[in-house]
Amino acid sequence: MRLLLVEDNRELADWLSKTLRQASYVVDVVHDGEDVEHALAAGDHALIILDLALPRMGGMEVLKRLRARGNPVPVIVLTANASLDGRVKGLNEGADDYLAKPFQIEELEARIRVQLRRANDRTAPVISCGDLVFDTNTRLFSLGGETLSLTPREHAVLEQLVVKAGRTVSKAALSAAIYDFETDADPSAIEIYVHRLRKKLEGSRVQIATLRGLGYLLRHED
Amino acid sequence: MRINSLRLQLLAWVVLPLAGLLTINLWTSQHNAQATADLVTDRMLVGSARAIAEQVAMEDGVLDATIPPAAIEMFDTGDRDSVYYHVKTAGGRLLTGYPDLPEALQRGSIEASYRNRRLRLLTLSHAVIGAGADSPITVTVGVTLAGHDAMVKRLWLSAFAQQLALVAIAGVFVLLGLRRGLAPLIRLRDAVRSPNRSDLDPVEVPGAQSEIRPLIDALNAYMERVRAQMAAQRRFIANAAHQLRTPLALMSTQASYALRESAAEQRREALVALQASSGRLARLAEQLLTLSRAEPGSRRPRADRIDLTEAARQVLEGQAPKAIERNIDLGLEEDGPVPVIGDGTMLREMIVNLVDNALRYSKPGGSVTVRLAAVDGVAELTVTDDGPGIPAEEWEHVFERFYRIAGASEEGSGLGLAIVREVVENAGGSVTLGDAASGGLKVEVRLPLSSVKD
Repeated sequence: MRLLLVEDNRELADWLSKTLRQASYVVDVVHDGEDVEHALAAGDHALIILDLALPRMGGMEVLKRLRARGNPVPVIVLTANASLDGRVKGLNEGADDYLAKPFQIEELEARIRVQLRRANDRTAPVISCGDLVFDTNTRLFSLGGETLSLTPREHAVLEQLVVKAGRTVSKAALSAAIYDFETDADPSAIEIYVHRLRKKLEGSRVQIATLRGLGYLLRHED
Repeated sequence: MRINSLRLQLLAWVVLPLAGLLTINLWTSQHNAQATADLVTDRMLVGSARAIAEQVAMEDGVLDATIPPAAIEMFDTGDRDSVYYHVKTAGGRLLTGYPDLPEALQRGSIEASYRNRRLRLLTLSHAVIGAGADSPITVTVGVTLAGHDAMVKRLWLSAFAQQLALVAIAGVFVLLGLRRGLAPLIRLRDAVRSPNRSDLDPVEVPGAQSEIRPLIDALNAYMERVRAQMAAQRRFIANAAHQLRTPLALMSTQASYALRESAAEQRREALVALQASSGRLARLAEQLLTLSRAEPGSRRPRADRIDLTEAARQVLEGQAPKAIERNIDLGLEEDGPVPVIGDGTMLREMIVNLVDNALRYSKPGGSVTVRLAAVDGVAELTVTDDGPGIPAEEWEHVFERFYRIAGASEEGSGLGLAIVREVVENAGGSVTLGDAASGGLKVEVRLPLSSVKD
C-alpha cells in the first residue's frame, strides 16, 4: 500500500516514514502543503497522513481543496492542536480520522488499517484468497499456515493484488502503487516481481493470472 | 462585617454630634424655661402686690389694709404653693401679714428663705393719699417655688421631648439613607464574591453613585489587567504544550522504530537519533523554564553586578564541545571587564541562547564570534556567525515566542531570541539584529554599563 505523509518537521517525517516502511508500506513524504497535489498526481496513494501545521499551505486548506476536487482518498489528520474545535473542524472539512501529537506509532498504524479496510469495503482484518492469507494487522502473508517471506517490492505487488483479488490490476496501477518518489518507476520490473511471486506461490491453489494488455489478476482454484 | 462597621461609623458621625448639640440645646432651653418661669412668677407677684396695695386706704383716719382674696388665689395653680405677704407703712409699722417676712430691698424680685422654704418675693412701694408720713406703704409678697419649678419642668420637658424625637428621626433617616447609599457597595461585594464568577468579567453595579463608580472602574480595570496576563499565560502554556508535542511524537516514533528493527546498525542509528531528540527536548524544557522566569513578576528582580566578559567566557567554555564537534571556530574578543547590573543567571542564559543559536545555524567549518566592549556608558555584546542569516523583513518577528521562519530546516524551538529579548529588556537594554560582514547574522545586545565607582 502506498501512503503519502505530509509533515513539515523533517525529522519526524523521516522517522515516521522509516517506521511505516518497516511495516511494508510504500511511503512518500512531502514537507509542505503545495506539494501535495503534485504528489497525488504522480502516484496512486491509498491514504494520506496530513499534518495541519504546514508552511505555505496549511493542512486544512490542502484537505479542503482535495475534497473540492472530489478526491475520496482517506485522510488521517495529525496535529499538535488537540482541541475539540480543531478536531471537529478537521472532520467537517473531510478528514476521515484525527490523531493528536504525541501519538504512539501503533495507534497510527491501527488507524491506517481501519481506513484502508473501509476504503476497500472490508470489515475483517484478514484478507484471504484460497490458502493465501494476508493479515492486515501483522502485515504478513501466509500460505497454508506458513509465513511467506517476501521482499518489500514483492510484498507491495502481492498486497495490491490480494486487496483487489478477483479483479484485474493494470501494470500501470501496480507501478503507481508500489514505487515511491525516490525510486525510478520501472514497469518492466513488475514482470520480474510477478515472476518471483508466482514461484513463491507454486504448489498452492492461488495463482496470478496474466491478462495480456490488461494486467494481472489474483485468483484461486475452488 | 466591615460594611456593617462602616454603617455604624457613619451613624456615629451623624448621631454623636447631634447628641452633643442636643445637650447644649437642652442646657439653653433649661435656662430659657427658668427665665420664663421667673418672669411669669414675677409678673404674678407684681400683680398680687399691686392688688393688695390698691386696697390700702385711709379708713376713718387710720390706714386700713384688707387683703383681696384674688391677690392670694392667683397663685393657686394646683401646686400647693404657700403665699406670704406683709404690708408696712413708710415708718416700718406692720399693717397686716407676716411680720418676719424678709423684704426685697432693690427693684425686682429676689429669692429668699423663709420658714425653711425657698421663696421668690417682691416688695412694692405704693403711695396712699392722705396717709401723711405713713405713705408710701410697702407691700411684700412671697410665694414658694413649687409652681415655678413645675413650670420650668414642664417647659423644659417638652423641649427635651421634641429634640429627642428630632435626633431619633434624624438617626432613622441616616440609617435609611446609608442603607440606600451603601446598597451599590453591598451589591458590588456580592457581585465580586459571587461563586459563579470564575472568569474575570467586569463587575456591573447598576445605580452606583459617582463616588463608588471610580472604585468599580478601578476594580474592573484591575481585573482586565489580570485577565490579559492570564490570557498571555494561557497562550504561552498552550504554545509550550504545542511545542512539546512534535518532539514527543518524534521520540516515540524513533523508539518504536528501534524496538522493531532487527538490524543492529539501523537500530543503533535510531537510538542515537532518539538520544539527540531527548537532548533537544531537554533544551526546549530549559528554555521554556527560562522564559517563564523572565516573565515580569515571576521572579524577584535581582540587581547583581556581573561582568559580562566573565559570563561570556564561562558560556563559551560550556559551548566549546559543541563547537568542536561541528568544527566551528568559536572565539571571544574582549578588552577588559564589562560590568552591568542585572540578574546574573538570566543574563548568562541570554548569552547561552545567543551562542547556541549562532552555533546551530553556522555551517560546519564556519566561525562564531562573541565580542564585548564598553562604549560611552553602554555595554555592547555582539554575536556574529556566518550562517544563512535572517532576511531583514523577518527581523522583528523572530523575537516573538515560538516564531519560526517558514521553511527553516534547522529544528529550533523558536524561543531563543524571545528569551534574549525578554532578559535584555528586563535589564533595561535593547537587542537588534543586523547582517554580519560574513553574510551571517549579527546580534547586538546593548545594556547600561554599571559605573566602576559604585
